[in-house]
Amino acid sequence: MNETPTTSGFSRRRFFSASGVAAGLVVLAACGDDDDDGDEEGQAGGGSQQDQGQNRDLAVAELAAGLEVLAVNTYQAALDAATSNKLGRVPPAVATYVQTALAHHKEHLAAWNGILRSAGRAEVSTPNAQLKPTVDSMFAQVKDVAGAANLALTLEDIASQTYLKAIPTLTSKDAIRKAGEIQVVDQQHIAILRYALGMYPVPEVFQKTDKAVS
Amino acid sequence: MQIDDRQLSELIEESQDLHVDAMKGIAETIPMLEGIREERRREEVDVDEVAQFNARRRRALQAMGLTGAGLAARSVVYGSLGSLFTGLIASPASADKNLDIQILQTASSLERLAVNTYNAAATQNIGGIASVRGTAGTVIKQFVETTMMQHDEHRKGFQAQTTALGGRSQDQPNRKFQDVVNKAVPTLKAPVDVVNFAGTLEKVATDTYLVNLAMFEDTKSKEIMASVMGVEAQHLASLRAVSALLTAGAPELIKIPIGADLADLPAAAGSVGFPAAFEQVMEPDLIAQPDTGDVR
Repeated sequence: MNETPTTSGFSRRRFFSASGVAAGLVVLAACGDDDDDGDEEGQAGGGSQQDQGQNRDLAVAELAAGLEVLAVNTYQAALDAATSNKLGRVPPAVATYVQTALAHHKEHLAAWNGILRSAGRAEVSTPNAQLKPTVDSMFAQVKDVAGAANLALTLEDIASQTYLKAIPTLTSKDAIRKAGEIQVVDQQHIAILRYALGMYPVPEVFQKTDKAVS
Repeated sequence: MQIDDRQLSELIEESQDLHVDAMKGIAETIPMLEGIREERRREEVDVDEVAQFNARRRRALQAMGLTGAGLAARSVVYGSLGSLFTGLIASPASADKNLDIQILQTASSLERLAVNTYNAAATQNIGGIASVRGTAGTVIKQFVETTMMQHDEHRKGFQAQTTALGGRSQDQPNRKFQDVVNKAVPTLKAPVDVVNFAGTLEKVATDTYLVNLAMFEDTKSKEIMASVMGVEAQHLASLRAVSALLTAGAPELIKIPIGADLADLPAAAGSVGFPAAFEQVMEPDLIAQPDTGDVR
């Protein structure tokens, strides 16, 4: 037994990452309600609680997309700075990390925007307005690899904790799954960043939510 | 370069403080949940509740394509997925089978198995894991001890939640994966084998909890499981990195803090901990279905 992914895993993931989850948000938000009000078969365009659940899920998708834009922009800026020798010598493992994390966050963003688009909402292309000024200020002070890694750690903490806090509020099972899949990967980014920064990689017994945004 | 034992101890102490805070958060929810338990204790069979559960299940199955022709078609695609897990949710609920409680009991059983397995690896020196020398040996020892403690706290958290919902606490190891452990242990001949196997158990926990999140009815249970899932995911990433360094013949780079040796880490160390942008769940083999650890 090993943890080698099955060949079907990737294609299934890609399938769900766009239309599947988006359709799930619409369908399951309509028929997967928890209010038990007697509407057994779940009719599209149903009661207000169903609409509220769907709207809540889509609000989380918008929030998540805004965080992903912020992460993409910040990692891209760090990569640009490294390429232009503004961060000093960049260790190979750090270079690989930045490229990998950047690609991951682009995929996360695409997934949430796919959900929003399929639900008739506008895609998100601007970073989270609440955090952007702070992140811009922090990035302006980044002079080396350690500074960039610390900023990345801050962003990953915020993103991962936001997903953790959002998951219990989501009504669509597919949205819960997608948020969980991303939370896992963001937590893994954090573990490796902490190791690179000289810290123990798994500091908490239970993941916290004190840095989550809403 | 030497391990900074003092700093590592401080980090572990900090982790333990954080744990105390987290357990306080859980403890605060217990009275509310106990209230629910008291309400449910006196309910022999709540016909309405069972009917509502079955209605939700039916809608979920429809959405997943798991009824009628959809179920048949999905069985062709996913093969044995149509056995345990699908069988469980495709079966109407009965009054004595609360899915939330089953999930929590099974999570407890996974944590019990993890504690037992890490403990056995360390005390019985399985695969020579306790004989690794140098900085790598120190880090591995600390990781095993810390991770074992964390899993034990996860077990306690899941057990407390189980009883708060009116269920019986599970303290036995998971039946499905105990069998896997029993078969695997004799084949673990080197430290890297043990690290890889520990990684497999962490992936089972991570992915089982990920799948479970969409099945819970109880919100607080969902919060706790998502919180634990985030920690198991970090165990997994750490073990993948350690495995890669052992495999690459660079155990001297397993050190905390890594310090200036960060420059010597192979490029792959920056990506090996997270092979995909989204966690890839491998059903059904690496999932502990809810009926593999429930109290019987």
